[in-house]
This record gives sequence, C-alpha cells and structure tokens, in this order.
Amino acid sequence: MSDIITAANLTKDYGGGKGVFDVSFGVKKGEAMGFLGPNGAGKTTTLRQLMGFTRPDGGTAEIFGLDCFANAAKIQKNLGYLPGEIAFMDDMTGMEFIKFIAAMKSIKDMTRANELISYFELDASGRIKKMSKGMKQKIGIVCAFMQSADLLLLDEPTSGLDPLMQKKFIDLILREKQRGATILMSSHLFEEIERTCDRTVIIRAGRIAAIETLDDLRKRQKKSIEIEFANEAGAKSFASAFKTSADGCNVNVLTDDINALIKALGGYDVKNLMPRTQTLEELFMHFYGGEK
Amino acid sequence: MLCTPLFKREIKANYKLWIIFAAVLTMYGLMIISMFDPKLGESLQQMAQSMPQVFAAFGMLDAGSTLIEFTANYLYGFLMVVMPLVMTIILANRLVAHYVDTGSMAYLLAAPVTRRKIIFTQIITLCLAELALTLYMTLLCTAAAEGMFKGELDIKAFLLLNVGCFGLQIFLAGVCFICSCIFNDAKYSVGVSSGLCIAFVLVQMVSQVGDKFDFLKYATPLTLFDTDGIIANEAAAYVKMAILFLCGIALMLVGMGAFEKRDIPV
Repeated sequence: MSDIITAANLTKDYGGGKGVFDVSFGVKKGEAMGFLGPNGAGKTTTLRQLMGFTRPDGGTAEIFGLDCFANAAKIQKNLGYLPGEIAFMDDMTGMEFIKFIAAMKSIKDMTRANELISYFELDASGRIKKMSKGMKQKIGIVCAFMQSADLLLLDEPTSGLDPLMQKKFIDLILREKQRGATILMSSHLFEEIERTCDRTVIIRAGRIAAIETLDDLRKRQKKSIEIEFANEAGAKSFASAFKTSADGCNVNVLTDDINALIKALGGYDVKNLMPRTQTLEELFMHFYGGEK
Repeated sequence: MLCTPLFKREIKANYKLWIIFAAVLTMYGLMIISMFDPKLGESLQQMAQSMPQVFAAFGMLDAGSTLIEFTANYLYGFLMVVMPLVMTIILANRLVAHYVDTGSMAYLLAAPVTRRKIIFTQIITLCLAELALTLYMTLLCTAAAEGMFKGELDIKAFLLLNVGCFGLQIFLAGVCFICSCIFNDAKYSVGVSSGLCIAFVLVQMVSQVGDKFDFLKYATPLTLFDTDGIIANEAAAYVKMAILFLCGIALMLVGMGAFEKRDIPV
C-alpha cells in the first residue's frame, strides 16, 4: 500500500541542537502511527512541517504525494489537525469558533460536530477566554474530527483531558481507525500510543531513535514493579536474591516474568505492591541501553 | 479570491473599533465645521498669530477664508490624518501579527485556504475600513457644511481632498500591514509600525514650523497628501496622490509575498 505521509531526511535546524535532523518515516494508508518522544524532542517541529507552516531546511515532506509547504491548502482539504498549543480567537464563544472553522473548511453538515460535542460533554456556549484548558482541548478535538478527514494529525491530543475523557478520546481514535482514517499522533505517554497505534516513531533530541510496531515494543518491554516490604531486612534479602538494590523498605523490580516474581515474594512480608508505568526515558534505557 | 468566512469574522470582530473612531471623528468634524465663521475666523487668526509655531505644527496657521480651506487646514491637516492612523495601526496588527503571536493563525493555516487568500482577505478588510471611514466623513462633513453654511463648501474640491486623504490612509495602512506580515510578535508589529508612523507625523509637524526646517517635508510621506495643492487643483497634487495609492498597495502586496514564503511559528 502506498504511503500517505512521507518524510525523507527532514531537517529543520533552529541552532543550539534544537530542531529535527534527518527525520525519515512513512505512514501507510489506514495506519495509526504514534510519534513518541519526550518534551522538546521535535514532535511539534515535525508536525508543523507536515502542516506546511514551516519550510524544511533539508529533506522533503509529502502528504498524499504532494509537497507539504507548496500544496498545504490542497492537502488540508482531507486533513484534520489538532495543534499542540491551544490558541483560538479569544473573542469568540466556543460554538462560534467551531462554526467558523467549519465554514473555513466548507463543512455544511454539522451533525458530526454536534455528535462530538455531546460525546465529550462539551458546553461550547461560553466565551473561549473564560474556558479551562480541558474545555479548550475538547473544542480543538471537535474541530479536528468534525470533518471525518482521511488523515488526522494530532499533536499531544489528550493533554488537559481528565482520565475519563482520555479514555473516551482513545475510543474515538479506535473508531476513526475502523472508519479507515490514517492517523499520526504525537505523545510523550507510552500508554496512550500503546492503546491506539499500530506502529510508532520514537524520536529523541531531534533524531529518530526507532520505528517499531507496538507488538514488538510490548514483547520487549519489561514490567516495572515497586514492592514495599514490612522491614528493611526482608527488602535487602529479596533485593540480593533478585539482583537489584533496596532503598529502605522499597525494592524496584524490572521483570518480564510476573509469575516468578509472585512465587519469590511468597516467603516475604509484603506491605504493598505497585506496578509502575515506565517513563519514556526508562523505556529508552531498556531498549537502547541509554545510548544517545 | 476572498475567503468569505474569514471576512465575515473580521467584520464582526472589528466593527466596534471602527465605530469608536468614526464617533470621535464625528465629534471633531462637526465641531470644526461649526466653528467656521468669518468673525470667529478672525479671532482664530489672532490666536494663531499669538502662537504661530504651535498652530503651524498642526498645519493650522492659515485658517483660510473659505470653508474648504478652513476644513482642509483644521480637519485634514492633522485630525483626519492621525485619528484614522491610530485605527489603522490597531487593525493592521490585529489582522495578521496578532494571530501569529497568539498562535490562532494555526487554525487559519490548517484550513484548506491558501496563505495568499487569507492575506488578500485581510487586505480587503483593512482597505474597506479605511474607505468606509473616509466615505462616512465625506458625507458627514458635506451634509454638515450644507446644513450650516449652505453653498459655502466647494464640494468638488472637498471630494478630491477626501480621495487624497484616503490615499494617505492606504499608504499608511500599507506600512502597518507589511509590519504585521513580517513580524511574529505583536509587540514588534505594533512597535515598528507605530514608531514609523509617529516619526512621519512628527517630522511633518517640525517641517511646518518654520522655513529653517522646511526641507524636512521631503523626509515624510505625509507631504504627499498636499491639501493646498488639491484645493488649488494643481496637477502635481494628483500625481502625489497617485503615488500614495500605488505605494500603499505595493507595500501590502510585498507583505503578502513575504507572508506566503516565510515560516510561521504557530
């Protein structure tokens, strides 16, 4: 299948090591691609070039086979975009803004927009200036999805949403995938990408660290579990048995064999057991041994 | 070529600004025309002679014996230049640089509309605001003059005076608009455009004070709005008027070109 998005050696140098360098990846039709990286890794910089807001210093960016800068208006006919930084026209109400964007995109049928508004329990009647971050994010989401576009570019789409709304958002992404939409979605949270995407680009310090399928990543991911023992002696003895170190009564264990861990814990007095989500940096450490 | 939804939005977002300036100018316009009175003219003349430099700076030294000269000096010498200019500085900045600065330009650029179409729409909005203000003042002042001093106003010359004034506003709008297109920060857009325009006005004021600084009139584009020349029906005044229009439009188009090519950090 042909690629919807193609970035080839995309480079934008803002000086001082900031920017993106030699970024190459492709997103296939109907695929949900994650764009994973810590803050400041170059996610937004890359998306801005795909949107045609900035021109690359080197390399090319193409969507639907068209140059992203020269043909931005043409590409955007079939594209829904959610910016990473929420900025609307503050003098409008939420509904006025949604209608304005619909008119800009020549969307006549507001059924989908209204569906989304009620799905996210959004009250868009107030002035945008007075709205909370979460409400603004919902307006941005409605604007990005109301078109039912072929391609969705989403920059940190769940920031500012509470857990319930995050869950709803993930369900929405899954339904969009079923509809056949191609999705490129940036995030600094592994779980979010894990639950929605087929593959992910991992970017760090402006360079691509890996492009992997989520299945592969999951297989190689170790579980991180924090165990609190009743006493320090127990913690120490367990830590030496598991070849890790104790921090007071706490031991942090990385394993891919949960059964073995539970069996080993059987003889100890355990106060608390907490699975910890890996931070993105830890993920890097595990996959790439921390090398830059 | 016009992006209708954006155009509608801009009208809705900015009509209040226009009304404020139209209201202030209504007050000044009516006041100044009502002040035209051969006798009051004499006393104004006396006042002007008591502090000629101050009156000269505002282009009001020669009160003029006819209503058209009187209006040209008192209204079109300073107020009809500066008041629309303030509106222009605010509006030009709002139309482009403000959106880039706040980041909401992302939504305009993410729509399937070319940058050229977006900027063209903003240029039309800006020019329409200038045109509407000039037209309104033309009608208001003509009506007021006819009401108060029937037959006194040389209407043809007054219309031409307003065409010239519109030309000057288009030129200054061009200066402000190009700043709005070039800068990413609203503070630079407003700072540079208002700085330039204030300099134009101040230089003109100084150049009018005495013969010593007369040469400074060549250093400000405001000289190209030649009220005396227009009233005297001089060909050179019309050439200057045309230069103002052409330069103003050229500045806007250069701004559009720059905006089309550059990186927009939103």
